[in-house]
Amino acid sequence: MLRFVVRRLLVAAVTLAVISLVTFGLFFAVPSSPAKVMCGKNCTAADIAQVERRLGIDQPLPRQYTEFVKGVFVGRTYGEGDFRQDCPAPCLGYSFRNNQPVTKIIAQRAPVTFSIVLGGAVLWLTLGISLGMVSALRRGTALDRAAIGVTLAGASMQVYFFGLILLYLLVYSTGLLPFPSYTPLTENPARWAVGLLLPWMTLGFLNSALYARLARAQMLETLSEDFVRTARAKGLSARQVHTRHALRAAVTPIVTIAGLDIGTSLGGTFITETIFGLQGLGKATVEAVQFLNLPVVMATVLLAAVFIVVANIVVDVLYAVIDPRVRLS
Amino acid sequence: MVELPVPRSGEGPYLQVTDLRVRFDTEDGVVRAVDGVSFAVERGRTLGIVGESGSGKSVTSLAILGLHNPKRAAISGEISVGGRQLVGMPEEEVRRLRGRDMAMIFQDPLSALHPYYTVGKQIAEAYRVHHPRAGKREARTRAVDMLGRVGIPQPGKRFDQYPHEFSGGMRQRAMIAMALVNDPDLLIADEPTTALDVTVQAQILDLLSDLQEEFRSAIILITHDLGVVSQVADDVLVMYGGRAVERGSVEQVLRRPQHPYTWGLLSSVPSLHGDADADLVPIKGNPPSLINLPSGCAFHPRCRYAGRNGDRSRTEVPDLVPATERGHLVACHLPEAARQRLYRDEIARVGVAR
Amino acid sequence: MRARTRTLTGVLIAAALVAAGCSPTTDDGGGGDGKAKTQTGSISYEAADNQGPAKAVDGAKAGGTLTVMQNSDFEHLDPARNYVNVQQVTGGLLYRALNGYKEDGSGKLLLVGDLATSPGKDVNNDCKVWEFTLRDGVKYEDGSAVTSKDVAYGLARSFAANLNEGPHYIQQWLYPGGAYNATYQGPYDGGKAVPDGVETPDDRTIRFTFPQPHCDLPYAAALPTTAPVPAGKDTRANYDLRPFSSGPYKVKSYERDVALELERNPNWDPKTDPIRNAYPDRIRVTFGLEQAQIAERLVADAPADQAALSWTDVPPAVLPRTTAAGVVERVVKGPTQYTWVLSINTQRVTDLAIRRALNYAVDKDAALKALGGQAAGNPATTLMSPTTAGWQKYDVFNAPVTGDKAKVTELLAGKKPKLVLAHSNTELRTQQAEAIRKNLTDMGFDIVMKPIDNTSYYDEIGRKNNPYDLYLSGWGSDWPTGSTIIPPVYDGREIVDEGNNNVSYLNEPSVSAEVDRVRNLPAAQQDAAWMALDEKIMREYAPVVPCYYDATYELHGSKVGNAFLSDAFGIISLNGIHVKQ
Repeated sequence: MLRFVVRRLLVAAVTLAVISLVTFGLFFAVPSSPAKVMCGKNCTAADIAQVERRLGIDQPLPRQYTEFVKGVFVGRTYGEGDFRQDCPAPCLGYSFRNNQPVTKIIAQRAPVTFSIVLGGAVLWLTLGISLGMVSALRRGTALDRAAIGVTLAGASMQVYFFGLILLYLLVYSTGLLPFPSYTPLTENPARWAVGLLLPWMTLGFLNSALYARLARAQMLETLSEDFVRTARAKGLSARQVHTRHALRAAVTPIVTIAGLDIGTSLGGTFITETIFGLQGLGKATVEAVQFLNLPVVMATVLLAAVFIVVANIVVDVLYAVIDPRVRLS
Repeated sequence: MVELPVPRSGEGPYLQVTDLRVRFDTEDGVVRAVDGVSFAVERGRTLGIVGESGSGKSVTSLAILGLHNPKRAAISGEISVGGRQLVGMPEEEVRRLRGRDMAMIFQDPLSALHPYYTVGKQIAEAYRVHHPRAGKREARTRAVDMLGRVGIPQPGKRFDQYPHEFSGGMRQRAMIAMALVNDPDLLIADEPTTALDVTVQAQILDLLSDLQEEFRSAIILITHDLGVVSQVADDVLVMYGGRAVERGSVEQVLRRPQHPYTWGLLSSVPSLHGDADADLVPIKGNPPSLINLPSGCAFHPRCRYAGRNGDRSRTEVPDLVPATERGHLVACHLPEAARQRLYRDEIARVGVAR
Repeated sequence: MRARTRTLTGVLIAAALVAAGCSPTTDDGGGGDGKAKTQTGSISYEAADNQGPAKAVDGAKAGGTLTVMQNSDFEHLDPARNYVNVQQVTGGLLYRALNGYKEDGSGKLLLVGDLATSPGKDVNNDCKVWEFTLRDGVKYEDGSAVTSKDVAYGLARSFAANLNEGPHYIQQWLYPGGAYNATYQGPYDGGKAVPDGVETPDDRTIRFTFPQPHCDLPYAAALPTTAPVPAGKDTRANYDLRPFSSGPYKVKSYERDVALELERNPNWDPKTDPIRNAYPDRIRVTFGLEQAQIAERLVADAPADQAALSWTDVPPAVLPRTTAAGVVERVVKGPTQYTWVLSINTQRVTDLAIRRALNYAVDKDAALKALGGQAAGNPATTLMSPTTAGWQKYDVFNAPVTGDKAKVTELLAGKKPKLVLAHSNTELRTQQAEAIRKNLTDMGFDIVMKPIDNTSYYDEIGRKNNPYDLYLSGWGSDWPTGSTIIPPVYDGREIVDEGNNNVSYLNEPSVSAEVDRVRNLPAAQQDAAWMALDEKIMREYAPVVPCYYDATYELHGSKVGNAFLSDAFGIISLNGIHVKQ
């Protein structure tokens, strides 16, 4: 297990290094110079050169990359003279637009996205799996067909459509809920939950569709497994058979997909964040792209990659925890 | 005072199945998986049910345990276990009998055991379900004890291992331990040795015999392997197309079989004594579709002797009727004398029958 | 003024255009056309105007929290870097420049002293030496007194290349010829503490001495670069996040891209302030909502949003709902400082008859319709916007808004001029250009369309030898007089190789001469003179087709009192605003 994790972490490190290189390279393919964008319209060549120096993008590319990597481990300083800006390790860059080290921006934004995704995930997994399970157990009944219909509707709907409908129904026209906002969980748990209820409901409903269908299919498959028959032959009650035996086995592929889904979402749920005006990582990334705020783009892209890589490792470990036949070595 | 094992109330066989019919309604039509089968098993005795796949063996055993989905299977007839009528009994009551009074050993222990739980835990679970007051430790002790009884070395250590860490034979032993953990009076073993190699097969069968002696259970052994039947069973029921075609003691059915289908089964089993290349005569054709069973005797399309009674084999379903020998029943339109002659002259030269 | 800063042309102008979208152009007419108000604003030296406290607003009470919902965060709040209107209005709550605009919503715009006791004394009556005396009792958030040295230091730091985003009028005037900071680069890294030509003989006096006359100085001194910054409180680049307050509010917290929270500066004395009432106890600016969400929330007017407003335009999708009772009275709309014109490249289209024919030909209604109609703007006939001081409506051509084909045919006299119409490649600008092309083709021109990437549009048309004949461009004044419109955009002497604002490349000595004459007029006479020059340019040279005056269409919640459009900034003013209790 330990060896597995260590090996996977090494692979992850290499992956991230490659991604960082690629992201780095991409920025030099963008049509307009970030310095020019920052500098504005009535900007002389000297001004642009000065901004480039401040951003550190006047250096040759390999040098910039090594500076970046060095910054991650030992921190670095941007600018010169009285306008030096310290960026302590782990320095993922300095945003001159925000006047903040990128790590600080991420520290501000990540909890928002985390709250959206984790709350949503709890909802969509609970809802999806129970709906799928009920539907599988009541296969062919009106309940099953209704559940399939609902999930089909959910699966074919988009966040921006469903989210807006919820906003109109619950916020704009009735005022049942306040417009979503983010309050740190540690500050006020109740307000945290109320403020994120709408995005949770939206993500919960839409994503649960996929999970319901998946859970139904998996459940139907495991219900026909021999070990389920064994469990019944032992005299276990239907509930024990369905939860302890069938669901436990059905849940494995769901864990895989959920892990990767959550990992991907943690990198940013741009559409959800936009619809509900929440300042998470997704919005940070897209805004940074709009303003060619390269350090932020770079960091958020890398972070998203980290989440996906970590999610993969977590899924593998979970797999081994769930299924003893999987040996991590 | 020495206490003799006393059969439960009213004597008679522990399991009595009478005119059992199991029907499934599918989109393609009605599947008559079991169509009027009757048999009985007494405590301490073993009934072997043989037949090809789709002959209704497993459906019968699942019907006894009440494991068919009542929404999809229509079951009629009578199944009496220890004097209790199971057909029509509420599911909750049947559930309480399952695993306690009647238990089942499944064919492929690898897929029949849950891959995510330790073997011990699965056995302990079977115990605790019927002993709700038993604690964790008691269940564990009992499970370890059972693992030892079925001949698994180091049972305490094995308790905490997963099925995939067991060898095939060990898994089947564990399966048996699980089935016997509540001292059931009826044990149904569905092809318990099919997935095992021959030496392990023998060990498992010996184990079953030993345990039967110890627990005095009634055993139903479902198999397509006549060799196994000849080793273990006291009585044999041969099924074809959901119906019983021959029934009797091992001696009667295997030594003096009277149904052409039984002959076919016997001829298709390699003999340990004969020339394997020459002797083997498989039954021609395929098992019948249970949706669209051939008219008359279901075996007639594959029966070499079907034409000998005019149209009877094609039009009339033969009843399972007693032959001359007591306890031997055959469902065939051929006259008994003709059957005995045909067997003697044409069949007995090959296969295990020799 | 860069109301929507050009740095972000690609994003913000696009957003503004999305805001316009599509809605019928036929409604009551709003602030445009014949009914547009005439600007009467000017510099006031009246003691009554220059004395604090600001006149109380009827029914207003101090208290409450006002929320301003914005689409995206400010770029800068540092007074040296503050150029965009929304930032200037917000910055105006935190720091006080030498001068400021006094407005009451009646359309009267007065430039008065803010930190200074009057809008500047022209010492020698030659507009070269200007002196300001600071008010007594103006204090920073820590209770220390604001001094003229801090104003000088604030101005000095605006020369730093690292803080170069603000306006540079005074800086350029102090160091004419060459770039504004070619000689002096601010007090950092060993630089001099005070630029040449700035003196602070005592703590309450600051004197500017310019090599050339600048009668506009009172306006330039209203820009944030004359706000005081104590050297000891200068955090350089980080000053952007927390300017040291000399105004009625101070920064309580500022979470970038999320929210800026202001609370009262207890050391602000209303008696020293003729401009601000500062009624709300707290002001909260939130960022990150989409235009449509903001508009929907303000339309819905839920309890939590009743004390809120926004400076972003209501997008077309929400416009129909803003006419309902209960909403319509919460709409604040009117012209901004921007005028959009179809510039004619006079280097290529030298025939005045064709330029005049174009003026008769352009269907301004169609050009506006492509952007969403009346909410986006109103048909224009002048170069300067109706928000400019001294503005008077005139119409040289008196053509119907959809064009006058007979006149065009007469002027073209059988010719069919072939013209290249360049346009930004955004969806809305393309639609708009297509409408213009169709219209001009119908009128007898041969139009070739040439799309240009949105991000380099102004660079392309600002290149002197560009190969295009027609292109739409917008210009807004930095202060509401003609001096930041006519000279930069229509004076031929400003033409350089690249980066031109004079994109019609009009180079007429008579215009340049008039510019010089007007510049040297006493400030009081300039407004009317710029307006006259505006008309002269159109009448004699027709270098552009005035298309439309940009308009804003904003909403506020039902508990916001005294919300009116600031003529100086083109957005709702916060100085006299209050939260109804």
